[in-house]
Amino acid sequence: MGEIRPVYLEDKLKEVEDSGRLDYRSKALPTWCPGCGYFSIVEAVATALCELGIPNENAVMVSGIGCSSRFPFFINTYGIHTLHGRALPSALGVKTANPALTVVAVGGDGDGFAIGGGHVPHAARRNLDITYLLFDNGIYGLTKGQTSPTSAIGFKTPTSPYANPDRPLNPLLMLLSYGASWVGQSYAGDPEHLRSMVRQALEHRGFSYLHILSPCVTFDKTHRTYVNLGMQVHPLPATHDPADKLAAMGEAMKNEQAPAVGLYYREQRPTLDDALDALVEKAGGEKRGLRGGRGRKLR
Amino acid sequence: MNTDVQIAIVGSAGDGTIAAGDILRRAMAEIGYRVISFDLYPAEIRGFGKCIARLRVSDEQAYSLKQKSDILVSLDDSHAIPHVGEAREWGAVIYETNSVNPLPEGAHLSAHIDPGQVPYNVPIRELAEKSTGAARSRNIVVVGYIIGLMRLPLEPALRALTGKFKGKGEIAQKNEAALRAGYEEGLRWFRLDDIEFGPPPAQERGAHLEMINGNAAIVRGALDAGIDTFFGYPITPATSIMERLASEMPKRGARLVQTEDEIAAISATLGAGFAGARAATATSGPGLSLMAEMLGFGVIAEVPSVVFVSQRGGPSTGMPTKHEQSDLNMAVFGGHGDAPRIVIAPTNVEGCYRCAGRAFEMAEAYQTPVIVLLDLYLSNRYETVPFPDRPPFEADTNRYADTRGGAAGFQRYVLTADGVSPRSTPGQPGGMHVATGLEHNELGRPNDQPDMHLAQSRKRHEKLKAALRHPGFEPAKRFGDTGAVDVGLVAWGSSFGECLEAMYLAQEEGIRCAALKVLMISPFPVEMATSFLADCKEVLVPEVNYQGQFAGILQMQVPRAVTRMTRIPCAPMRVEEILDEIRRLAGRVVEPQAA
Ligand SMILES: Cc1ncc(C[n+]2csc(CCOP(=O)(O)OP(=O)(O)O)c2C)c(N)n1
Ligand code: SF4
Ligand SMILES: [Mg+2]
Repeated sequence: MGEIRPVYLEDKLKEVEDSGRLDYRSKALPTWCPGCGYFSIVEAVATALCELGIPNENAVMVSGIGCSSRFPFFINTYGIHTLHGRALPSALGVKTANPALTVVAVGGDGDGFAIGGGHVPHAARRNLDITYLLFDNGIYGLTKGQTSPTSAIGFKTPTSPYANPDRPLNPLLMLLSYGASWVGQSYAGDPEHLRSMVRQALEHRGFSYLHILSPCVTFDKTHRTYVNLGMQVHPLPATHDPADKLAAMGEAMKNEQAPAVGLYYREQRPTLDDALDALVEKAGGEKRGLRGGRGRKLR
Repeated sequence: MNTDVQIAIVGSAGDGTIAAGDILRRAMAEIGYRVISFDLYPAEIRGFGKCIARLRVSDEQAYSLKQKSDILVSLDDSHAIPHVGEAREWGAVIYETNSVNPLPEGAHLSAHIDPGQVPYNVPIRELAEKSTGAARSRNIVVVGYIIGLMRLPLEPALRALTGKFKGKGEIAQKNEAALRAGYEEGLRWFRLDDIEFGPPPAQERGAHLEMINGNAAIVRGALDAGIDTFFGYPITPATSIMERLASEMPKRGARLVQTEDEIAAISATLGAGFAGARAATATSGPGLSLMAEMLGFGVIAEVPSVVFVSQRGGPSTGMPTKHEQSDLNMAVFGGHGDAPRIVIAPTNVEGCYRCAGRAFEMAEAYQTPVIVLLDLYLSNRYETVPFPDRPPFEADTNRYADTRGGAAGFQRYVLTADGVSPRSTPGQPGGMHVATGLEHNELGRPNDQPDMHLAQSRKRHEKLKAALRHPGFEPAKRFGDTGAVDVGLVAWGSSFGECLEAMYLAQEEGIRCAALKVLMISPFPVEMATSFLADCKEVLVPEVNYQGQFAGILQMQVPRAVTRMTRIPCAPMRVEEILDEIRRLAGRVVEPQAA
């Protein structure tokens, strides 16, 4: 048995300060309920942006509406907090206008798969070069706990007081079939894993989809709790090959029993930016160095 | 001598009616005349494939077609017979000597010509067959015939012909032969003294005349204003804006994406606007309905963006190929909350060009969505437009913030005297902020305190007033008699053309008459409208919708009694009808129209 060394708060604070990742946290403190899984996502994104050395002004956080969609307010970059369900098409505009930006779309399960569900396939198939972080709590948090498209069958909520009659979607399987070029899953209760997955997602060139399981501690006391998720969540088998799409789909289907975290699938293929640049070349046009900012250079 | 000749060609879908009209109008434009032209396609007409090409050729740009044509051509008597009355007295009616199919008694057009109309019985088919070996080129023969009859030069028509069917070898040769055959035949006949083509007017300096339709003019304006991104979803009658941009934008290094729906189109447009691009989308009524929520976001988050809307018959899917002006309320008021935006409605094709370019300037200068409201008639109608050699638009009308050393947090929505807050765009150090649809404070942080809501609401409303004085843009303009008038017309959008035509005719009848063209409908040019209305004994507001939407807005801004003239004929309003209304309001006796 090794010697137990005390951890001093001062040392820890200094370590955090020196890391520089606080520069990526805005002055606004998150308004989420204490214990909400989303806190660790803010930390993971701030850390990843810092580690990757992306200047604050060159990143844009784009969100819809929901507890999760408050996210841009807590990160010190540019941000758009748009409408319920519209994070992805808004991100399409930002990235297309200025491809040099690092664009991250975030939102909840309702935002992404109910009202905004029609946009997901298109962002994925175009290989829009952004990262989409889906905060899945299986519930509508902001509107106080109604059923969502990822709620379990039988789940009781104010809008399904007897039992939710609908089966939940399988987002990982959907994204794989939609043609996302990077598909992964992580868990807000495992900050280390989350940090590393967010960083990989940001590093991927193309549409990276990270599904983050996160408990709503206020409105879900029975299903997606830390206790339950802690017991269910397990890593993908070490043998899983992220280049094998069929295997990835197989693993995604197993999620319906117990969720496995890790990288499901990754491929490299031309992005929407590449395709649009190719059109310019085909038309004999001159590629503009910069579209956004009209004359303003990045970096 | 004044040139003002209207030609109508009536045929069925396979006759090349529209193509003939197109060659003719291009030729006229090349000679240097001003042209206005609007075609009716089978989809727009009940019946079996009837097509009508109409063009009015003059030496000053006309604002609308005339009720009566000077020359009427039949390529298909069964379709043309009901239109014979459209040829004016002493006007020419040109028709086929020998019909393609043997016709029963009375089915030949010759039996329907009024005394006073001048018949031109032309062996069109024979000429086509002799010159090309087939009857197919009858439409081209007719074009040549009209040019010969009117003693106009043939070369411009030849150039228009090769321009239209370029590089088609043998076909091009045959077409040329047909054109020449028709031309020679036309030369053999006496020209009507009554129909005159004077020398074409002198060209404006620093501009070149082009014939173009409203949607194409929108595209030109957008390109000349330096559009960076376009996101859209196809819908009649706006589709051709996107189609043209799709081929033109990549040539300039700009980007266009066809989105999954209109909600995505407007979301992406705002995303791009936020990132600093000159961004636009185009749609029609149904798409505008879908965009309403996001437009509200553009208003509260103050994001520059341009939406081109070409109206069609509504509500719901309505009448996709019919003309109507019934989306005005939607454009001005659509969406929830107090959400002021700029709405401008061009009245002719040249106006489409100018409004498109100015829309981008305004969107940036006042940080707001700008809706440019067209309609099916304006989108599809052709006019000659003198395009300036150098685009008249400013390339960047942003008010940028200096964000160097701004550690304290950038005040994106700082309250200023004119309501416009200097902006920053991603990539700009120190300018980080969140654009949100939540009510917010100067920093852009959510804030729902009454004082802040009032201050920000006031800012969003007040800042738009400057748009009424936007450089190079007249929000309203008066035409006709000055001072007190018996009847004043107030009109918007494409209807203004017919109103102006009716006003001129009323003036000729001795009625003191004026017309106010309202280009900017939101914010409304209240002062101009008030002083105009003060001059009018009677006010007439003609528009193509059932409710009188524009009259409603006018009366909301300038309370007084007006006569609403609402018609929904699924087509442009008739000049005659407006003239009758003017006569009535001026106390003249109006003969009831024959049914
Ligand atoms: C058009 C529209 N419909 C409904 C709402 C109300 N609304 C706000 S957030 C939300 C659901 C949020 O759930 P989710 O996306 O899962 O995010 P969470 O709060 O769970 O993070 C709803 C229904 C809205 N803001 N806009
Ligand atoms: S309501 Fe649920 S999702 Fe929303 S902040 Fe609270 S715990 Fe998190
Ligand atoms: Mg949720």
